[in-house]
Amino acid sequence: MSETSARLIRILLLAFLGVWLFFTLFPFYFQLITSLKPVAEINRMVPTFWPEVLVPGNYAGIFADPGSLKALQDSLVVALANTALSLFLGTLAGYALARYLKGPVGENLSFWILSNRMFPPVAVLIPMFFLFDNTPWGTDSYFSLIVLYLVFNLPLATWLMMVFFRDAPVELEEAAYVDGWKPFQAFSRITLPLVLPGMISVAMLCFIFAWNEYLFANLLTGTNVKTFPVHIPTFTQGSQTLWNLVMAFSLVAMLPPVVMFILLRRYMVRGLSLGVVKG
Amino acid sequence: MALLEIRGLCKAFDHVVLDRLDLDVEAGEFFVVVGPSGIGKTTLLRCVAGLETPQAGTVRVRGTDVTGLPPYRRNVALTFESYALYPHLTVFENIASPLRARRRPAEEIRRKVREVAKLLRIEHILDHRPGEISGGQKQRTALGRTLVRDPDVFLLDEPISHLDAKIRHELREQFHHLEELRRTATLYVTHDYAEALSLGDRIGVMGPGGLVQIGTPEEVFERPRSLFVARHLGQPTINLLPAALRREDGRVSLELEGCGARLPLTAEQAAALSARTGDRVVLGVRPHHIALADGAAPADGGLLEARVELYEPLGAKGVLLAELGSTRLHVLTPIDVHFRPGERVRLAFDRSAFLFFCPERGVNLVD
Repeated sequence: MSETSARLIRILLLAFLGVWLFFTLFPFYFQLITSLKPVAEINRMVPTFWPEVLVPGNYAGIFADPGSLKALQDSLVVALANTALSLFLGTLAGYALARYLKGPVGENLSFWILSNRMFPPVAVLIPMFFLFDNTPWGTDSYFSLIVLYLVFNLPLATWLMMVFFRDAPVELEEAAYVDGWKPFQAFSRITLPLVLPGMISVAMLCFIFAWNEYLFANLLTGTNVKTFPVHIPTFTQGSQTLWNLVMAFSLVAMLPPVVMFILLRRYMVRGLSLGVVKG
Repeated sequence: MALLEIRGLCKAFDHVVLDRLDLDVEAGEFFVVVGPSGIGKTTLLRCVAGLETPQAGTVRVRGTDVTGLPPYRRNVALTFESYALYPHLTVFENIASPLRARRRPAEEIRRKVREVAKLLRIEHILDHRPGEISGGQKQRTALGRTLVRDPDVFLLDEPISHLDAKIRHELREQFHHLEELRRTATLYVTHDYAEALSLGDRIGVMGPGGLVQIGTPEEVFERPRSLFVARHLGQPTINLLPAALRREDGRVSLELEGCGARLPLTAEQAAALSARTGDRVVLGVRPHHIALADGAAPADGGLLEARVELYEPLGAKGVLLAELGSTRLHVLTPIDVHFRPGERVRLAFDRSAFLFFCPERGVNLVD
């Protein structure tokens, strides 16, 4: 390849990356500046891309608004509880599938579990409403969302944990038995630390789903419990949507998963220097 | 009563691996099981450790039947061929694991781990993780994890096979000196016959289905009961020559097929084999029982002429591949002579070391 065509390819590549970067980052930039604009500036046709005045008052308003704070609290409760439950059940189920259910039974069972993730959620929207309406806690409760999100997160958690457990050498558990550890001790002391990076990845995936879910939360809850995606539409008053508040609130709502991701990123890399077995 | 008693042990996966295996290992005895890879040596250890459930038979340790007990209820230590070190724990914690499982006091754990580490010369890497240490150090760590315990039986699965030759020899010497191993019963598995001959108080050669011969290293090496055992022990492999027993003037001799040469037999051999004259046999001669002869042929005619096909000088000795008629022979030679391919040499056989096997059943006909 000639030098000029190599340069041309390089320039085209950089141009593509530049456009891609713009499309990715511009919405966040626009979200940030809109969240700092006063009401008068937000609905201007030909919007201002460099705000004339920056007002931090929108953020102060959100933190002063009990409804917004309650929405963030509800989201945290639902997402954390569901993540913990998904991880706990998914880890145990994944371990059982990986170690005790080999062969066709285990393969069909694990695929059936994963296939639960494949149907369109809308198909069960109405049935789920009636189902939870008949529980003592009703639809509009922490219980309903925490349990409902298991339908989506548990198959994923189970399947992924099963894959991680399959990768963890059985020999290490056997060595632990020979050392004198009982099966559950061997599981918790030896195998669990080996799949910890995987568990953290699974936790992130579950948390993000439960944190962002709108469709079911909107139908089932709204009064007693109101997660933040359901709270956002309340910033529309009459014909006026307070875009500055919407942007400020959703920016705040973005923070928990982002912070979590940054803190846990290094554990998610499966780099735990294994050197267990020879070779 | 033996410390470890195995009776009628049967284990099959999709094929039979162990078929009614019996074995006794006494207290203080170092018993080596040697055999080709995939023959079931590891399966035997796993049955004793409790990691496999045999279909039939019993395993007794100090007279107690442990056949149905899980590994953590048996006091049996096992090193894995793959080492199976816990990657997230330091060398110290790896070695301490069996003591922690028994809830020993912290002070005792520290002391015992240090002792074992000192013995195995891995004190300086106690803070390292398995990913950060060499193969030899991993092996010592794995060994440390078994030595730190006070088990009834030590089970060692190819503990040094995957190390390079130098460290292997060093560790082999160390096994001779490990008092811990000499106090209790040890079952050591290897595919390396030299390890077996060097280490074993007794050795057992494992063939399809179980142990085909048990005895002291000398017994098994000098008087293999079958072709399988003869072939498996020794490097270069024993020379096996098809031959026929002939009787001439009342004397029994051996006619080698392919070259027609006749070799006289000793009086004992002739006596043992006289009933079989006319039969075909397989003659087994170890490479170090063939010498190079110069000068005149001895009176009894045990001297054959052969052609050099290949010569490998190996430092301390040489290996000569010679062609005798249509068969080939390995001969161990002293290092001061060199050979060129095509050269003619005369080979003197040590008749007293001849082994005779039945070509069909593979059994030793004289033993």
